[in-house]
Amino acid sequence: MTHQRSFEDVTVGEELAPVAFPLTVYRLVVAAGGNRDFNSIHHNTAYAQASGAPEMYASTFVLMGMWERLVRDYIGAAGTIRSIKDFRMRKFNLVGSTVEVRGRVRDKRPDGAGGIVTLDVESVVDGQVTVGPGTVEVTVPSASAAG
Amino acid sequence: MSEDWAAEWQPLAAAVGRDFSDGTVAFGADAVEPGTIRRYAEPLEIGCAIHYDAAAARAAGHPDIVAPYTATMVYSVAPMWRPGEPTLYDSAERDAQPARSPINNEDMPLGPKTTGFFATDISMEFLRPVTVGERVGRRGRRLISCTPKQTSMGRGAFITWESELVTDGGEVVARVRTGTYAYNPVRPEEEQR
Repeated sequence: MTHQRSFEDVTVGEELAPVAFPLTVYRLVVAAGGNRDFNSIHHNTAYAQASGAPEMYASTFVLMGMWERLVRDYIGAAGTIRSIKDFRMRKFNLVGSTVEVRGRVRDKRPDGAGGIVTLDVESVVDGQVTVGPGTVEVTVPSASAAG
Repeated sequence: MSEDWAAEWQPLAAAVGRDFSDGTVAFGADAVEPGTIRRYAEPLEIGCAIHYDAAAARAAGHPDIVAPYTATMVYSVAPMWRPGEPTLYDSAERDAQPARSPINNEDMPLGPKTTGFFATDISMEFLRPVTVGERVGRRGRRLISCTPKQTSMGRGAFITWESELVTDGGEVVARVRTGTYAYNPVRPEEEQR
């Protein structure tokens, strides 16, 4: 179970616990089966290289899912995701690398029985940003509503 | 001529603002099901109980198990093959591609044929997560931008589309803007042209 964070728990500037995703062929194949993006650039080295890429690389669904994992771990079961913006894939996230997804609280504002929180999120490989930086807008309940 | 490849994109660039869809909703292959949710979440190791435990989902305010938000678009992906259709696998060559695929660039309405295609950026607005039992379809295909450009990958164009994701109940659950790069790889001998 993920921890249920409350709006009162959220501090502007705080960093989310980063999540590391080692990218193996095995994982990319499991992911393609799950998200149905069977484009060979995501699971076939020769095909990816013929397309101009250095190696097979993670699909958009995989990379977006990584951001959701980071965010869901932070907002807990009662949180919601309102938007993902500026999810720009700047570099290939190649097999054999480890993608680290990082986030930081940019802003928070009360709204109803909780509040809206804006998170800055990015994916990094070997110190270079590969996806983002973008923003994810979420809601989290107030402490009283979170129980 | 070095500009010829870019000129081939002008018909599409001139169509910016046009909705290339017929206004109907194109539904995906699979309904939102616990099994497909699990298979999406598994490689990402998304462990939140709202994605596999109905009681936990209800406690969080949902009617039943919900899919991860980022999986919403997955449920709008058309099937690879339907009963009665010709085979997809008409070659035993090792890296042969399927005869048809719902995720590629083969249905480009205008512009040159390309062999390379990948997504570059995406923005999504979510109105709510989709729930077990629902179906999801895509409505609208509005061209937002088309910019021819040669990159290290080849010659092609950056193209942005906008659409809505709609349930079988007729409710809009997400709005999506997807940027892509469609291109033909450039061989070294063509680099100077």
